[in-house]
Amino acid sequence: MSSVNLARALRAIKRSVWVYHLNSGSCNACDIEILDALTPYFDVERFGIKLVGSPRHADLILFTGPVTRESLPKVVRAIRAMPRPRLILVLGSCGVSGGIWWDTYSTIGGFKKLEEVLRENGVEVDRVVYVPGCPVRPEAIIYGILLLLGVVEQKVKKVEVVASES
Amino acid sequence: MSIARILEIAFRTGRVTRKYPHEPPLLTPEFRGAVRVDPSKCWGCGACVKICPPNALSLRSDSGREVVLEYFVGRCIFCGMCAEVCPARAIEVTKEFELSSTSLESLKYGVAHRLVRCSSCGSLVWTEAELRAVIRSSPVAEEYVVLCPRCRKTRFARAASIRVGAGSE
Repeated sequence: MSSVNLARALRAIKRSVWVYHLNSGSCNACDIEILDALTPYFDVERFGIKLVGSPRHADLILFTGPVTRESLPKVVRAIRAMPRPRLILVLGSCGVSGGIWWDTYSTIGGFKKLEEVLRENGVEVDRVVYVPGCPVRPEAIIYGILLLLGVVEQKVKKVEVVASES
Repeated sequence: MSIARILEIAFRTGRVTRKYPHEPPLLTPEFRGAVRVDPSKCWGCGACVKICPPNALSLRSDSGREVVLEYFVGRCIFCGMCAEVCPARAIEVTKEFELSSTSLESLKYGVAHRLVRCSSCGSLVWTEAELRAVIRSSPVAEEYVVLCPRCRKTRFARAASIRVGAGSE
């Protein structure tokens, strides 16, 4: 598989991101918030974001759910069907790390494990942005997409402090 | 519905779209975002770790000399139970929701606590902050407070046995 020039590709799709909504067994709360973000109230079409019905047409996958075992092969096929560059916005605590289902028998526990499965199957993913939230707010989805496109700066960073007496 | 009626409603309602990144988000007073652990108040007792449903808060001990209370916001379900059970009131629920990141590592926040040795056997039992809080909150003899539970039991049993005249040792 040939590599892609990610910076050039992002510049090209910056103002017209076509998104595909992929549910891998989530509770539907994040999915409802995605629909919220598409309504005139938040109106993501301001940024040229448009929902499409097939991963073959999509630039970005809005990925929700903790990846149940049953959905795993279908998820891998859907992501493989995407053209390069493959951009994935992982939404919700379930998608990011398994959330409340982090150690159940019937899920594989979030996107990190899925990434390993994708690598084993030879499916490359070009950029991933994690959006925590349970469920994610529509504003958080917009913020995540803008971070993925490089419009806004990332706010969080790894911090480790030593406890001290006040 | 006729187009005239639709236009009438549209003009009466006006613009409803939130121009989010350019204007403040619509946050209700009930909204719960990421929690914040105050490192100057936290004891490292682990009450939040026990109550946390998805194990977003965890205690890990890398070196053995200290424990780290780690908050992984990527797994948090924003229930606020940790803030409710915290005996030191060190955890606060904020309205922070712009938590997107390109790596899982940057979603982690840790508070490191140094451990105190038992003055008798030398095993590591509790954190410095917890010891300070216990001494401050309850009138306990300080030679007992720096002991591990096992040494404390032994010493108390020995003292009690001497008192009732059960013989030495």
